[in-house]
Amino acid sequence: MKTHTFHVTGTHCASCKILIEDVLNEHDFVNNAEVNLKTETVLIETNTNQGAEEIVTVLTEKIEPHGYMLSMEKIIQNKKSDDVIWKAIPIGLAFLVLFFMLQKSGILNLGIGGNTTPTTSFIIGLIASVSSCLAIVGGLVLSLSAKISEDNVSDTKTFILFHVGRLVSFALLGGILGLIGNAIGINFTFTAILGIVASLVMLMLGLNLVGVFAKNKITLPSGIFNFFRKIEHKTFTPLAIGFGTFFLPCGFTQSMQVAAISSGSFMSGFFIMFAFALGTLPVLAFLSFGSASFAHGKHAPLFFKSAGVVVIGLGAFALLSGLAGLGIINPVFSI
Amino acid sequence: MNKIVLIILILGLAVALGVVFGSAGNGGQAILNSEIRDGVQYITIDAKGGYSPKVSIAKAGIPTKLIVKTNGTYDCSASLVIRSAGFQQILPQTGETEIDIGAKNPGETLQGVCGMGMYSFAINFEDA
Repeated sequence: MKTHTFHVTGTHCASCKILIEDVLNEHDFVNNAEVNLKTETVLIETNTNQGAEEIVTVLTEKIEPHGYMLSMEKIIQNKKSDDVIWKAIPIGLAFLVLFFMLQKSGILNLGIGGNTTPTTSFIIGLIASVSSCLAIVGGLVLSLSAKISEDNVSDTKTFILFHVGRLVSFALLGGILGLIGNAIGINFTFTAILGIVASLVMLMLGLNLVGVFAKNKITLPSGIFNFFRKIEHKTFTPLAIGFGTFFLPCGFTQSMQVAAISSGSFMSGFFIMFAFALGTLPVLAFLSFGSASFAHGKHAPLFFKSAGVVVIGLGAFALLSGLAGLGIINPVFSI
Repeated sequence: MNKIVLIILILGLAVALGVVFGSAGNGGQAILNSEIRDGVQYITIDAKGGYSPKVSIAKAGIPTKLIVKTNGTYDCSASLVIRSAGFQQILPQTGETEIDIGAKNPGETLQGVCGMGMYSFAINFEDA
């Protein structure tokens, strides 16, 4: 039995430790692998007679697809990351300015009269996906996508599951609303609280993306990381989050839910909500798959930090709005 | 050097963000949106992409009803919450909703917000 200590790069979160250990322990000649996040090293117990350099090569091959690298010498992280944040803040702010100017311009207040048909609800979905609803639903999608892509775990599959879960649950729940009609009321307080929870998650992920947590080496409770780890590894979680977006506060979603309730049958409610979700798909899919492609490109650090700034801005907006909606604080915004 | 340019850019964008949030829409002009019929004061508010007028002035001490008009409204302003009146409802996409808010005291303010909280309106009650 021999032990080797290698330097590991790419560790930015507690879940990385779990992932690297999982991957390395799968390897047959590794008896035990232990990652130390503070020193960014990994301690490997092995019974192979291979030289340290060979082990590094073999094991790096294993963890490279996840975005980590082993090395004998400590690789000095170039200090560029400090400058990236100065570029990321204006990019993020510019996006926020454009977004809120769009809200204020009134372009989105198109008149759509008459009955709600699947066609009109598809158009309303398109509008909703760039409206203030994007602050919550889009912000959540962007922050989770960037986080998942940053951790580099089979992101495409996770995103597809999320979007499928979203389409299917909107259609099914729409059908159920149409079937039972006015039997249930949509609870304002419940959706508002859900919105506040979502905005807190966004703020936390946003700070994490910007690198506040990484810089100060604040380690969040492992429970939270286990939660994200589940998102990354399980099939069920992205489906469930897609399902959950049905209940997130969004005026357009609520209007569509009412339209589904008054539509009177399972099939009509089903198609109204399905068409609405389909309308919101292009923008949301762009957010998730866009962050995946950025995350694997060479501008990844800039992308993560810019996305973090945007998510923090949207999260703060959603949080203050949600508190105002609950009557806890006075309305802050007049857009 | 480069950093200074970026910091100036950041400040500029922060100001732009403040302007977007700060400006009060239609100039805060008092629009006549209330009338008294048969001893009842009716206040009309349009709900579409926000509430208009955002601030209205009404008379205190008279039974008051609020008429919220929607016209193809699908956004947040359709889900109206008026806490002091115990009113929470998703308004019809097109139509008028009458809300009884009773007689208010002078100096009282009635506030309505949409479900998500980003649109709001206020009615200030003053001495007749």
